Amino acid sequence: MKSYIAEFDTKEKPKDYYNKLLENLKEKNRELNAFNNFNDSLHGGFPFSVKDNICVKGVESTASSKILKTYKPPFNATVVERLQKNNFGFLGKTNMDEFGFGSFGINCEAPAHNPFNSDYVAGGSSSGAAIATAILKYHVAVAESTGGSISSPAAFCGVVGFTPTYGVVSRNGLIDYANSLDKIGFMARSAIDVRKVLNMSTGRDTKDTTSLDVRLTDEPKIQFSVINQLMNGLDGKIRSAFDKFLEKLKGMDYKVNYVDLKEIEAAIPAYYVISAAEASTNLARYTGFKYGFKVNDFSKKYNDFFTEARKQFGAEAKRRIILGTFVRSASVKNRYYIRALKVRAMLNEKMRRILRESFIVSPTMPITTPKIADIEKLSPVQNYALDILTIPPNLCGLPHISFPYDYIGGMPIGAQVIGEHFNDYAVISFVENWERKFKYKFRYNIGAL
Amino acid sequence: MKIGLEVHVALPTKTKLFCSDSTAETKEPNSQICPICVGFPGSRPVLNKEAVRVAKSIAIALNCSVKDKISFIRKVYFYPDLPKSFQITQLSESIGSEGSIELEKKKIRIRRIQIEEDPAQIIREGGYTLLDFNRSGTPLVEIVTEPDITTEEELRETVFTLRTILHYQGVDVNQEIKTDLNISLAEDRVEIKNVTGIKNLIAAAQYEIARQGAIIEKGGVPEKETRSFDAASGTTKASRKKESEEEYGFIYEPDLTVYDTKNLAENAMRIPTKIARDLAVKHNANYKTILELIAFDTGALNLISTFEDEFSFNTIIASLEIMKRFGEPSNSNVFKEILNLTDQKIDITREVLKKIKSGDKVEIKKFSESQIDETIRKMLNSDATIVEKYKKNKNVVNFIIGTISKKYGIQPREAAVRVESVINKL
Ligand SMILES: [Zn+2]
Repeated sequence: MKSYIAEFDTKEKPKDYYNKLLENLKEKNRELNAFNNFNDSLHGGFPFSVKDNICVKGVESTASSKILKTYKPPFNATVVERLQKNNFGFLGKTNMDEFGFGSFGINCEAPAHNPFNSDYVAGGSSSGAAIATAILKYHVAVAESTGGSISSPAAFCGVVGFTPTYGVVSRNGLIDYANSLDKIGFMARSAIDVRKVLNMSTGRDTKDTTSLDVRLTDEPKIQFSVINQLMNGLDGKIRSAFDKFLEKLKGMDYKVNYVDLKEIEAAIPAYYVISAAEASTNLARYTGFKYGFKVNDFSKKYNDFFTEARKQFGAEAKRRIILGTFVRSASVKNRYYIRALKVRAMLNEKMRRILRESFIVSPTMPITTPKIADIEKLSPVQNYALDILTIPPNLCGLPHISFPYDYIGGMPIGAQVIGEHFNDYAVISFVENWERKFKYKFRYNIGAL
Repeated sequence: MKIGLEVHVALPTKTKLFCSDSTAETKEPNSQICPICVGFPGSRPVLNKEAVRVAKSIAIALNCSVKDKISFIRKVYFYPDLPKSFQITQLSESIGSEGSIELEKKKIRIRRIQIEEDPAQIIREGGYTLLDFNRSGTPLVEIVTEPDITTEEELRETVFTLRTILHYQGVDVNQEIKTDLNISLAEDRVEIKNVTGIKNLIAAAQYEIARQGAIIEKGGVPEKETRSFDAASGTTKASRKKESEEEYGFIYEPDLTVYDTKNLAENAMRIPTKIARDLAVKHNANYKTILELIAFDTGALNLISTFEDEFSFNTIIASLEIMKRFGEPSNSNVFKEILNLTDQKIDITREVLKKIKSGDKVEIKKFSESQIDETIRKMLNSDATIVEKYKKNKNVVNFIIGTISKKYGIQPREAAVRVESVINKL
């Protein structure tokens, strides 16, 4: 349990500290593709990076999409403002799967590489945020999760990734993927640093109607529930590592029990239906003349004009637009979109029942870190199936945290703990406890003092 | 014949529906815009409560049931004036439903009243399509009626009645009201989209009634289709045919939470149709006359309330009509003088009105018809032969007419009428 933020504040920095930091970081970035751009005028504060789908005033914010190239928002996201007020210094925008569409950080122009071995994926969609956290000693990442975009890369890159209760951190300034599911969260090298930035970022924001003004709690749980259905699809190595982890928990005086939740299998289709439906409406605004990529041939009819612009979308974005437009169309809406909303409400109820008495724990990802080349071979459906562990808490807006608990073949693996709505600090507290038992290994310490 | 309307009116709020930009008129294009009403990525809507409050008032004024909890939806379509390529509007959880517009003799049912955002303004100029986003995000209500209108006369009365009710809710009824209307003389609905202004609405309906009537007369059946109205030629034209039903792919607007309308205080419920009806019953007067006087003139209504106990209702109505005839605003402080004169059956001319307005009231006020007659009688009495002479030559009373006209500030012709009537009564 170490706070890098506290340590940084007390240590004296060399005069050209930030210049050196940026120089070394840019060098490493050529290999890993963690950052889309850097803030060369950074000269003070605790460095924080911002996922590229979160607006920073005057800084190109593209959500790693070609269609948003040159978009410099005229305003800051609320979370960016709040951190800057707390003497944090903006470092740069981090790479991601285009608009958040992906779990491995490869659905973009410059695929992200795992800092432990660059043949492997970094996870996604907040790939750059996780890499930055893994390679920078003093840094926190502002990231975002819709269906697991914080947990997945945090697990693959061996850092702490925290996703708060839906509505706890303002989404003002977030370039939307699926508004009813999107949550801004954080990555750090320790749980206590997550706690610190969360504390600075919460609170009602009049610019986001869905942002809440609630006091987050820190009520510990001794019980950990494992959902049987989620254990079925685990890779063998992950399964045995996770079983060992559960034994360690018992050794720390926690209790582990197994529960059934058959309906959890409906989480993936429900998630993909709702998120694609919302995404397809959010992406409708990219028509090529107000911001970002511009079609300059004004002799075209409007339909041809915006169709030309929308060729800039990557394959996965196009797939989700088509899927999302289909599931909300009048003839099938009840069968897909409306039904998915009902599944979400039902699962929410079932999850909450389990969470009243316990945390829910699982591995973060069902597989060991895959190679980039292997993921490229998967079909979209195989790809989506790998989100089974991260989707349930995201679909239900529950606070959850992924943290490293072991290493397989030199690559970190992560576990995920889910808590009740608004008991956000409790899952962070648990990881603070875990960190007393288990020391993370970081391969790089760029910016070390 | 069946006609139904979808009427769009801008709400009288200072700021837009989802951002804090002004809704005031401005000449400079794109001067009242922000990331929200231009749909920049990262921005999100924040609901203007005042717009909901006014919309709630309108819903109540139109006899709708008002939902305690309302929500918004996204209506997705691609058009250059639509910054997000979806419009935030309402459907099943709209502010009002199942209301009515009460005409003199029937009710036109209202299906739904919904709050929505106005798109940007398209300006076609020199071969270009220009966009002015000042209008983008202006709060609108869309009032959807059932197809209960069955004659052109009813259409006019519906529009008139709706406008007066909206006027009493503070809506600027001189704005260019945009209407979609559906007209079916036979089985299938013909929709005419986006008709601007009341005049065009009537003209579009007239043309369409004639067009469909002609088809039926020839033994044909008007096709189900969407048409547009061309104001220059006064005709409707078939719009480009679509292969399928319009598909808007509605989903809930996830950036706005369900909004509780219970605590919104509605406007004072002054409903001109009800007021006119009550006054007509109370004073045994004509409903239509009253409604026409107060329809777009709350000042007239205030004058009625102020003087209702002091003067006879007929005098008040007659006085208001005089004001209207001379284009006097109904808040005028000369109204009491006019009431007095009307009460004394003094014919008010432009001359008289000028005098009243210049503050020269007392003189006029003094002389009622009976006072004038009294003076005439006195002058006649001073010459015992004059009546006899008059029977042979009417010119003998010319000097009396001249004197009366001058003294009382009335037209010589009117003075002559008075003199003649006094002589006849002798
Ligand atoms: Zn605005």
